[in-house]
Amino acid sequence: MVERYDACVIGAGADGLAAAIMLARAKLKTILIERSERPGGRLQTREFHPGFRASPFMDEVAPIPNEIFWSFDLARQGAILASSSSSIALWPGSQSVLRLSQQPLLRDAAVLSREVIERVADDAHQAPPRRSLFSRPLPPRTWPGEAWANHALAGLLAEQARDALDVPHLAALALTGRAADPYLSGSALHLLAPATGGSGMPIGGLGSLAHALAHAAESEGVAFSYGLDVSDLRHNKDRVTGACLADGTEIAARAVITTLDLKRSFLSLFKWNELPAPVAKRVSGFRMAGGTARLLLALERPPELSAARLAGAEMARGSIHIAPDMRAQADAYAAWRGGTVPERPPISLRLVSAVDPSLAPIGQATITVTLGSIPFRLFDGGWTKEKRDQLQSRALDRIEDVLPGIKARLLHVEVIAPPDIEDALGLTEGDLWGGEIAGDQMLGLRPWSDMSGPRTPMRGLYLAGPSSALGPLATCAAGVAAAGALIGDAKAGRLK
Amino acid sequence: MNAAPNAPGAFDALIIGAGVNGLTAAANLARHRKRVLVLEARNKIGGRCETVTLGDSFSAPSVAHLLYALDPSVVSEFRLTHHGLKFAARDVPLVGLRADGKHLVLGRDRHAAVRSIAAHSQADAEAWPKFQRELFELGRVMRSHWWDASPFELPLPAAIKHLKVISLAAWLDSWFESDALKALLAFDASEGGCSPLDAGSAPELVWRASQEMSGRQGAVAFASGGPATLAQALFEAAQAAGAEVRTGARVEALLVTEGTISGARLSSGEIIAAPLVLSSLNRGESLALTPPGAGGFAHMAQANLAKPAVASAQLLLALDHLPPFGGVTVPLNARFVAAERLETFIAAHASARAGKIADELPFEFIAPSAFDAALAPVGQHVVSVLIRPLPVEGCENRREELLSKIVATLDRFAFGLSKHIVHKELLTPENIAERYGSPSGPGHVLRSWDLRVRTSIPGLMLCGADAEPIGAVSGRVGRVAAAFALAEVPR
Repeated sequence: MVERYDACVIGAGADGLAAAIMLARAKLKTILIERSERPGGRLQTREFHPGFRASPFMDEVAPIPNEIFWSFDLARQGAILASSSSSIALWPGSQSVLRLSQQPLLRDAAVLSREVIERVADDAHQAPPRRSLFSRPLPPRTWPGEAWANHALAGLLAEQARDALDVPHLAALALTGRAADPYLSGSALHLLAPATGGSGMPIGGLGSLAHALAHAAESEGVAFSYGLDVSDLRHNKDRVTGACLADGTEIAARAVITTLDLKRSFLSLFKWNELPAPVAKRVSGFRMAGGTARLLLALERPPELSAARLAGAEMARGSIHIAPDMRAQADAYAAWRGGTVPERPPISLRLVSAVDPSLAPIGQATITVTLGSIPFRLFDGGWTKEKRDQLQSRALDRIEDVLPGIKARLLHVEVIAPPDIEDALGLTEGDLWGGEIAGDQMLGLRPWSDMSGPRTPMRGLYLAGPSSALGPLATCAAGVAAAGALIGDAKAGRLK
Repeated sequence: MNAAPNAPGAFDALIIGAGVNGLTAAANLARHRKRVLVLEARNKIGGRCETVTLGDSFSAPSVAHLLYALDPSVVSEFRLTHHGLKFAARDVPLVGLRADGKHLVLGRDRHAAVRSIAAHSQADAEAWPKFQRELFELGRVMRSHWWDASPFELPLPAAIKHLKVISLAAWLDSWFESDALKALLAFDASEGGCSPLDAGSAPELVWRASQEMSGRQGAVAFASGGPATLAQALFEAAQAAGAEVRTGARVEALLVTEGTISGARLSSGEIIAAPLVLSSLNRGESLALTPPGAGGFAHMAQANLAKPAVASAQLLLALDHLPPFGGVTVPLNARFVAAERLETFIAAHASARAGKIADELPFEFIAPSAFDAALAPVGQHVVSVLIRPLPVEGCENRREELLSKIVATLDRFAFGLSKHIVHKELLTPENIAERYGSPSGPGHVLRSWDLRVRTSIPGLMLCGADAEPIGAVSGRVGRVAAAFALAEVPR
């Protein structure tokens, strides 16, 4: 049985939902295929212990551009964002508090990523150049933010930060959950792709944002297919003509948008020998840098943050960085490269129930902990129970150092290691940002130099999702850009 | 030295430092009938190009032990070969020593290189000729950027734009699979002080490939008697052209009137007036000689921020007998690199940056006496080891540890070497900085000459290794700075 659609979107994450909404609005008959039973992808919130809820993979997503947020009318669909305007770093005996809006570097970064978003959206709406994608020279226009590709985060912070304690604090903020060395040049690009302090935390967890988006998509008339993987893409040489589902259903579509990461898009949806050789080479050369592990903590009482340590209860709402130290970050990165769990992984935590009391029973608390530089592949084998326990105790010991008494209040701990992220979300190596954030894999060079727009070398296939140029910079924007390119191509008759 | 008019205002330009670059600049300016005075703080000329003696009967080149970036036009223009420059070896092969005995030999003979790589990986052996062709092509394309004194920022070719932001590790990973080959190439690209993981470390390899020694692209040469011969030849050429060189003349301050350079004051108190000063010191040191505020505080702060992250050290050994290196198959007149894995290299760089000495240190060594027998008594040898990356500070009080680490590694490749050491001399990064000036900051390999050579003070230009894309013995920045200077003084 073949079902016919104008467009097919793979993956009902933020980008997939946004793309589907835009396509449906352009009067294209659209189907959204999601392998799990509900929409959202990484935008998820679930109960991890009776009464305690948390978003397992991240607490905040990269910012949603304002136009998109308002155009989808997300606020009315139930996405209320509680912005986090501050961040705190705790060391045994000292602390530093940052007002995010007052940091010139973060403001510069926000302006630059804004410009990148506009640039990609512009490019997507323009007709692709006539010559073949592989002979096209690099566009001569420079990209906003390109200058940072040769800067080290440490150097940039040393030049700009006003207070010595701000330097490790800002580095920890930019590198939360990442595997990166702030002393290496190119690491400044992490500022463009914020891991925390982006959009703000949606009330009810990230799941409520997913519901709002899914609701908007449904009301635009998008068809949904849940619970089935796309097994491969139908194609005629390099022209993609639809998708096949795991149960054998074939979906014919004039164009397909994939929101999977680059490796999964090309390596799981096509057979290796069906890809043009240069594409196969470039896809295999794309580097992933999964390094995030998370702990979800259920506490019988909120931790006591003494008044001396916290300038007002408001501080407990932003991210809390535990003893950030750039040397330790660099050491952790070295350990990550060697496939070992670092002695002192960078740790950040969020008192999510302080922002959103609905996430914990009354009087109790939910805390999420984000660890960076945790390798996906350990040099000595898989992620066993013992290794997870060891990671858990290592992290809790360090938290205990600065927030004494937290261990005694624990009711339950859930550990999410990088392979769990890969299993749950299908992100290769558990990389939440769809590929290493490095000079040659960002901006105009993401995913590679002559494929920076959403159009791929396979005609009729568009790449949104984390590995596209906008992937780590913004939420929903990559999907909107891919939909823009698809709609433009359809109108100009390039999808016949 | 040369008798020249020494009335006030008699000089068109002063040059600080009689190293290869300073002498090249002097010779260039003197040729254009400019009255030039070279001021050298030490009592001898040559700067880094120096031959030191070990004990009574051994001598060895210090720090810059091989030449691989000498500007061909400097050699031909000043007929340095007529002034005594002679190459004992014109194209030294590169040997990657391995504990397992499967040494990598990369020489001019491509087929031999492919055969030796094939012992590690067949795929790499097939990729090598393609890689070398592409590398050399990129190198040639970039010559206009790195060789010419064009004052304008040239548009970079698209391929280089990509290389500019890719890390060497990622670039090599896309070509090769064997660690041996990657580590060997990474060592060559580490001269500029970058980690192979740094974005923009790949152009350093291209920079090396763009060089030409005695007509061969990417070749490495050894000058008879060591690089000091080069400095001596340049000194003679500069004098023949009419430049005056004064040794033992330390410049204490630079004089600035109405915003432009007006001369220099020596530590003896003597004041020499000149409208132009070309300095071989690094940017921070040069600006520090000017009156406070003259260069603009922002520029000063920037120059001071550009501190190098890592440094290198040198170990000179005099041996009464040299056991064969890596077995009998490897020729002695080669450049040996002991760096087995790319990861070791990355780790060494990370520890150096953190101020620690890594457990495994990558280094390069040659036996100068194998090229030039006059450096050691018959049957005996000198070995010169360049170790990098090392921390900029903190090696001095760990000399013994550093020494034993290197000797132990050498011993692994040439068993029994440690028993034959007659003399040894270790130059730590601190020693080198003290003797030859601090190294330059992190490389901005693709920056234009204009930005490298000029300073915020009109009339003050840089002509030292700090202004080079990568601080090697080349004379190029001397030539380029002289061209800028000539454009500055009309007539």
